[in-house]
Amino acid sequence: MPFDLNFLIRLIPALLEGAEVTVELAVLTMLICVVWGLVVALAQATPGPLSWIAGGYIQVVRNTPLLVQMYLVYFGLSMIGMGLSGFASGLLALCIQNGGYMAEIYRGGLQSISLRQYEAGRALGMRRWTLYTSVIMPQVVARVIPPLTNQAISITKDTAQVAAIAVMDIMKVAQVWVESSANTYDVFLGAGLIYLCLTTVISLGGRIAERRLAFAS
Amino acid sequence: MKTFAPLLHSYWYLFRGAGMTLLMASAAVVPATLLGVLLALVQVFGRRAARSAVLAYLFIMRGIPLLVLLTFVYYLLPLTGIDLPPFWGVVLVLAFYYAAFMSEAFRAGILSLPQAQWDAAKSLGMPRYLMLRIVIFPQALRLAAPPFISLCVNLVKATSLVSIVGLWELTMASREVVERTLAPFQIFLGAAFLYFCICYALALYGKYLERRALVGH
Repeated sequence: MPFDLNFLIRLIPALLEGAEVTVELAVLTMLICVVWGLVVALAQATPGPLSWIAGGYIQVVRNTPLLVQMYLVYFGLSMIGMGLSGFASGLLALCIQNGGYMAEIYRGGLQSISLRQYEAGRALGMRRWTLYTSVIMPQVVARVIPPLTNQAISITKDTAQVAAIAVMDIMKVAQVWVESSANTYDVFLGAGLIYLCLTTVISLGGRIAERRLAFAS
Repeated sequence: MKTFAPLLHSYWYLFRGAGMTLLMASAAVVPATLLGVLLALVQVFGRRAARSAVLAYLFIMRGIPLLVLLTFVYYLLPLTGIDLPPFWGVVLVLAFYYAAFMSEAFRAGILSLPQAQWDAAKSLGMPRYLMLRIVIFPQALRLAAPPFISLCVNLVKATSLVSIVGLWELTMASREVVERTLAPFQIFLGAAFLYFCICYALALYGKYLERRALVGH
């Protein structure tokens, strides 16, 4: 029977436990990829073989499914004797894939900065480091906030795929509960609402950050 | 070469899986596009109530992971007694999910046209339908084409999720081969390669459209 209150009271703590895993995965992925994506983007912007490697990496990870990457990490690494736990494999695959997306976001941000900004910095006698940290990057960061917010939402939703490698996130908890209780409506209503809350929090946070960082440009 | 023997033995099975992936993605992309266009039109030209309904739809689709929706429908269909083959069930979910993202691409295409285009058409005395048909839509579609193609890439990648609810396509096919050959690394690498071929070809086409869309701007 749908909307069974007793059932919901037992279900919600279990789902929240799953939510903890989902949030951990999403936050870790986000933190790692913010850095890793920048590294890849800067490598791609540097002329030379590094740029080719970074470009190839971006194309490969963006054009293959996350799920296959997860299987490759989870089952493939254990075959060559470097088995990782489900959580670690999921995190690694999420970072591999989203690093490619993040790099593209940074590339767009870097390209949108006018050449005159670089020239003006150099004309003031700034060193390369100062030029980047005090002129270029603050503008890039302000511009990439909206796409980064979208990416954070998409990462949070993508974490559901770790259920396929037996990590007890919201999705897996929901699956287990549906199979043991056959109460499809309640379980998916609960799981869906938790995901909606998480993604709404991210998009609100993104909007606040956007307003804070908006320059008079 | 011996390490890749399992892959050489089963490449034909994976090819058939890739064929199914393509079939599923093509079956989903048509209704997704139609619904996406419809949603975009309602959002731009619709009345207030209709616009709010579309916004609610977008909020739900963009806030809940596709895997949750797929699993929900997988468990739901037998309960409702709707006699729908699982293939069409997942195709519909994919279509409804991606329609939300496609509508955003089309809406952005329509809204990014300069106001002068609307004014010029009106000043020529064009009736509304003519203005939309020969001035607005051709240009808006050209602008929306690159993000549309990248959504198609995502759609192809997303078909891998249906393997989790037990449908047969490339990812499921490779899982079956892995169970038989116990060579996850090689087989999933092969599957990733096939996905890459499909998605990269699409992405290159998207790049070409992007370059063409910039002509005359």
